[in-house]
Amino acid sequence: MMNGKVSGIIFTNSNDSALKEFTSFRSMASLPFGGRYRLIDFTISNFVNAGISNVGVITNQNYSSLLDHLGSGIYWDLDRKNGGLSILPPFISGSKNNVGELDAADRAVEYINRNNSEYVVVCESGTVANIDVKAVLNYHIEKNADITFLYRTSEKTDKFDRTLKLKLDDDGKVIKISDTKQSDEGGKLTMGFSIFTRAAFSELVNMASKVNTKDTFVSVMTKKFSAYNIFGYEHTGFVGVMDSRKAYFETSMELLNGDIREQLFNRKRPVYTKTKDDMPTRYGTHSSVKNSIIADGCIIDGTVKNSILFRGVRVRKGAVVENSILMQGVEIRENTKIKYVASDKNAVIGGKDPIKGTNRKAFIVKKNQTLID
Amino acid sequence: MSRKECVAMLLAGGQGSRLGVLTGKLAKPAVPYGGKYRIIDFPLSNCIHSGIDTVGILTQYKPLELNDYIGSGKPWDLDRSNGGVHILPPYQGKKGGDWYKGTANAIYQNLGFIDRYSPEYVIILSGDHIYKMDYSKMITAHKKSGADCTIAVMEVPLDEASRFGIMNATQDGTIYEFEEKPEKPKSNLASMGIYVFSYDKLKKYLTEDNEKEGSSNDFGKDIIPAMLNSGEKLMVYRFSDYWKDVGTVDSLWEANLDLLNPKIHLNLSDPNWKIYSRTSALPPQYISDTAQVENSLITAGCNISGNIDYSILFENVKVEEGATVEYSVVMPGAVIKKGAVVRYAIVAENSLIDENATVGQEPDYKDAQKWGITVIGDGVKVGKNAKIGANKMIKKEVKEGEKI
Repeated sequence: MMNGKVSGIIFTNSNDSALKEFTSFRSMASLPFGGRYRLIDFTISNFVNAGISNVGVITNQNYSSLLDHLGSGIYWDLDRKNGGLSILPPFISGSKNNVGELDAADRAVEYINRNNSEYVVVCESGTVANIDVKAVLNYHIEKNADITFLYRTSEKTDKFDRTLKLKLDDDGKVIKISDTKQSDEGGKLTMGFSIFTRAAFSELVNMASKVNTKDTFVSVMTKKFSAYNIFGYEHTGFVGVMDSRKAYFETSMELLNGDIREQLFNRKRPVYTKTKDDMPTRYGTHSSVKNSIIADGCIIDGTVKNSILFRGVRVRKGAVVENSILMQGVEIRENTKIKYVASDKNAVIGGKDPIKGTNRKAFIVKKNQTLID
Repeated sequence: MSRKECVAMLLAGGQGSRLGVLTGKLAKPAVPYGGKYRIIDFPLSNCIHSGIDTVGILTQYKPLELNDYIGSGKPWDLDRSNGGVHILPPYQGKKGGDWYKGTANAIYQNLGFIDRYSPEYVIILSGDHIYKMDYSKMITAHKKSGADCTIAVMEVPLDEASRFGIMNATQDGTIYEFEEKPEKPKSNLASMGIYVFSYDKLKKYLTEDNEKEGSSNDFGKDIIPAMLNSGEKLMVYRFSDYWKDVGTVDSLWEANLDLLNPKIHLNLSDPNWKIYSRTSALPPQYISDTAQVENSLITAGCNISGNIDYSILFENVKVEEGATVEYSVVMPGAVIKKGAVVRYAIVAENSLIDENATVGQEPDYKDAQKWGITVIGDGVKVGKNAKIGANKMIKKEVKEGEKI
């Protein structure tokens, strides 16, 4: 429908520092979530479900796992002759800026110019939501806006650097933008999703390159907003904000609620991801699974409660897994008991003594770690 | 087109009438199997893992769903600019067209397709068997022996041999006689319906067969006997891993439940020989607080609150609290409502088993002849409190409280 007129841009390393436990070797965009997804799957699916087929992915560092996941874009039908998925790594734009936020922004501008798009949907990484992008675009066009920020209403701010607090008039026009670092009082908070007209985006990037502070985006937006026609659009559905280990854990566990699953895995706007051709999950004799999300390719011979199991997880006989998140390929050895554990990919956990975190602080097991006492 | 050493031709046109309501709307190769597969995923995955990237699929009966499923061949890595997967339905030529009259005729009508790749060998496959096989080993054996045709066989119990096409062969594997379903079998080597032909010989015998009056144009009945009569070299290729013909309701049910039997070796999770399939974008399965799940295979999109034992559940199946599913196969999108009991049954796609209905029955050894697997056809609704016994084939809605 709007093919060509609209480009989507994803900044994959924004907010990496908020969740170091899992993003020391991968970007925030490739953070595993919900049993079989990476955060970027939700963003790309949001674009694709709105008919946007020009998607630029800005990568700065730690992007090998992301590239592996995205491939040619085939899983999102983005392997196209015209447009499709473009990876925009550092050093491709001839930008004079060093690798980082400004160089990334330069790459985004170049991408949009190349595609000759009228509008650009800019997404940070770190939140998860099923967004009706078409509705937001229509709103943006109808309001003749330069910028439209998607926002959520929350009692508390999040810890993301770029989150802005908006004040709107009755028409939805933004009349004040403030930094969220000064107080943690909530309100209408941006959620890393905004629509720009091309001119406004280029201008702001240009302006930002002249400002010499670390968080250029926030300072430019808070200072220069009055020069633009900016609107806010409220997202009222489920949104997960992965700004800390605790938030990641809690947001994941919210998926055990059927209503939340219905919102995030909206049947009209499905979430696409890389397929791995795992066989269905196999439940053995004496397996017991309650209130859990289980991806394909698992083999479960033990007990699993209130947990999220990614693809290919193995829970052996007598093992008990409670309130835990086990990423792809994790193995829980026989008779091992774990509770409040978040384990990264391919770890092996075993031993006589139970391994326990708390509901406030999950016990973290690193990628490929063998934890056997 | 550049040359291919071997082209595969997959016979997928059979009606599969013995599967009854399960093939009412789709061809047998498109019948769901094993929780997330279709039967045709097996020969297609075998092809790509065996290095065969050019596959012609011969379709005839109810091809719509099958065509849709195959698409560009992407899920099997068979979307190629040179080779790849091609659907070959019957077509009209200058002299008019015709339905495929038999398996051999289907290949004969598509010699033009094969010619484009000028292969040395052609492997003929069928779309109704569950097995994992490295065809490249069979082709190597064919080359080594210098045969004109090599036929894959497996040993079956002698008392069951009369159900199969039987190859009588010498010690070294040279076939001297072929008998289709013999009353008194002389050997227990059953044909698996997998043939490797040297292409020049295949072309010659297909062309001759086409001109023969009264031929049934069938590989087993006509081509193989004609080659034997002319003294061509036909060899057996022995195969001893898992292989199952899923042409009947009972065998389809058995082949599904075989996946739950640790003694039966059909490993679908071997990373070096994955079985590929076309999958939908679905969230992972959710198993609720009230569920009890053992000895089963369950896949994406399922929502389970009932009791599941010895069963295979396909995508998007919903089993409500207090419902029981045992020794059954439940195909995509089916819903089993509260208190319903499904035992020894195959429930086809998108059917609904309403509250407290009973479907199927455990084996009754006093009357073993009459017992059998019950099948609920696709999209069929079984009303509240209805009771459907063993060995039933249900095509249309069953009313509330009805007994069948």
